[in-house]
Amino acid sequence: MTGKGPILAIAHNTLRDAVRNRVLYVLLFFALVMIVASALLSTLSYVERERILQDIGFSAIRFFGAGIAIFMGVGLVHREIDRRTIYTILSKPVTRAQFLLGKYLGLLATLWMQLAIMGASFWLVSGISGAPFDGGHLTALGLVAVELAVLVSIATLFSSFATPFLAASYSLGLYLVGHLTRDLRAIGEAGNSEVVQSVTVWIHRVLPDLSSFNRVIEAVHGIPIPNTEIGAALLAGLAWCTAFLGISVVTFARRDFR
Amino acid sequence: MNAEQEIVRVERLVKDFRPGFGLRRKRVLHGISFEVQKGEVFGFIGPNGAGKTTTLKVLMGLIRPTEGACSVLGHDVSETAFREQIGFAPESPYFYDFLTGREILDFYANLGGVSSKQRPDAVARVLEKVGLAHAADARLRTYSKGMLQRVAIAQALVHDPSVVFLDEPMSGLDPVGRKEIRDLIVELNSDGKTVFMNTHILSDVEMICDRVAIIVAGRIAYQGGVDGAIGGDERRVDVTLLGLTPEFAEQAGSRFGAELSGRGDRITMRTPEKQVSDLLSSALAQGAQVEELLPVRADLESLFLHAVEESSGGSES
Repeated sequence: MTGKGPILAIAHNTLRDAVRNRVLYVLLFFALVMIVASALLSTLSYVERERILQDIGFSAIRFFGAGIAIFMGVGLVHREIDRRTIYTILSKPVTRAQFLLGKYLGLLATLWMQLAIMGASFWLVSGISGAPFDGGHLTALGLVAVELAVLVSIATLFSSFATPFLAASYSLGLYLVGHLTRDLRAIGEAGNSEVVQSVTVWIHRVLPDLSSFNRVIEAVHGIPIPNTEIGAALLAGLAWCTAFLGISVVTFARRDFR
Repeated sequence: MNAEQEIVRVERLVKDFRPGFGLRRKRVLHGISFEVQKGEVFGFIGPNGAGKTTTLKVLMGLIRPTEGACSVLGHDVSETAFREQIGFAPESPYFYDFLTGREILDFYANLGGVSSKQRPDAVARVLEKVGLAHAADARLRTYSKGMLQRVAIAQALVHDPSVVFLDEPMSGLDPVGRKEIRDLIVELNSDGKTVFMNTHILSDVEMICDRVAIIVAGRIAYQGGVDGAIGGDERRVDVTLLGLTPEFAEQAGSRFGAELSGRGDRITMRTPEKQVSDLLSSALAQGAQVEELLPVRADLESLFLHAVEESSGGSES
């Protein structure tokens, strides 16, 4: 068997495995509680209730989305090696790259399903509370989906060679740094030191700029997001996913499964 | 040797592992070589830690060799496509226990290249073959260890491979389960499949294997037929005689190269096969009675222990 057959089979199986994970439902439950609670919390304010509601709702979606991505992603490959299920899979005509891509796509499908559920709940709560929900909100949610794709590729990379604890630490670290690279660059450029400036520019170039996927402020305040910026974010997301998965494939191909 | 008949070829395989970061590499396979012929049941045996599973993992592409070459069906083991023609059942398997027996086999059949049209039949056939048809729609978490072992074998067979690799297939099974798996291996072999089996249960090997390789401490200590003799190819026979005088017995022992045992007038003489007729003629002429003639087979346990002893002797020297 060649091509996408094994990838889809492994992706489908990963999805089936994930949707039976009870921890996933607990996290999803808390995310939905947060989204619903945003409506209640917004009533505590006399001003900009709708914006507070949507800020909290978007934050819940992004926070729990990232949490689930890291939580599930870090064990994605390690669990297969630990349980030795990988032995029977790789003894079939399946390349290691196909295995990794299948696992990645399976988890990504799971996360996007969850994002769809959270997004639908957010839309419902916004509707009930009288807050607007338009194309800007959909774009912001779409970019959260892209960010999750990048985050899962990061978790897949670390899962391909590290234990879940280490993989979680690395993934979380990179996620946090990824949200700071743009600010770091801005700080460096505002300073007088050329060294600091070149270091921060270098960090911004080498590490993913995850803040480019965060367009919540524009969505909540009704500020249009230029198509060029959306396109750039999509391309950047695709490039980072390709890069992280490419490194994962190379790393994984060299591993011995003892 | 006919290359077409050669299903597995391992040539001077070396494997080093690094026990931990910064530690010296440890050699676990010291340039082993052996081959498996088409249509045979091949037993790869050795004590725990000898390198059996490591060798099998190299053949399955799960571990990369440090040196040497390994091929299966003429393909280098680093290739992938030829794996449609092989099946592998690991030791103490774990499967996705949220799936049913039928679902997991459908998954493996899909990976094995069976078309979606043929999969239901292929899965039903293999479930029947391993005796799991009654539990096909139960989740794997409800299966016993013996049933999981059968699932492991079923997934190795579901795409109808021509070579099957089994790692300790009888491990942890009760006597009934072991017999069923043995019967299944014999059936696979009679279907024309080549079977490579890792095990340390010698009685099973003796019953079903055509040839064996004994691996001890990462080196092949013996390779050949199960009936291979220890210390030369000469077969021996235990000749038990009644009514011999001790003097005659001693004389006959040295004359015919026999080892004596027994007491009173019942003496057993372990004699080279080619000397048996002369010994019998001589003993009968002395008025002795023949009680028993028993060919001595070099059983696998002797062969195995001999190989282990030789190997440890060699490593000590």
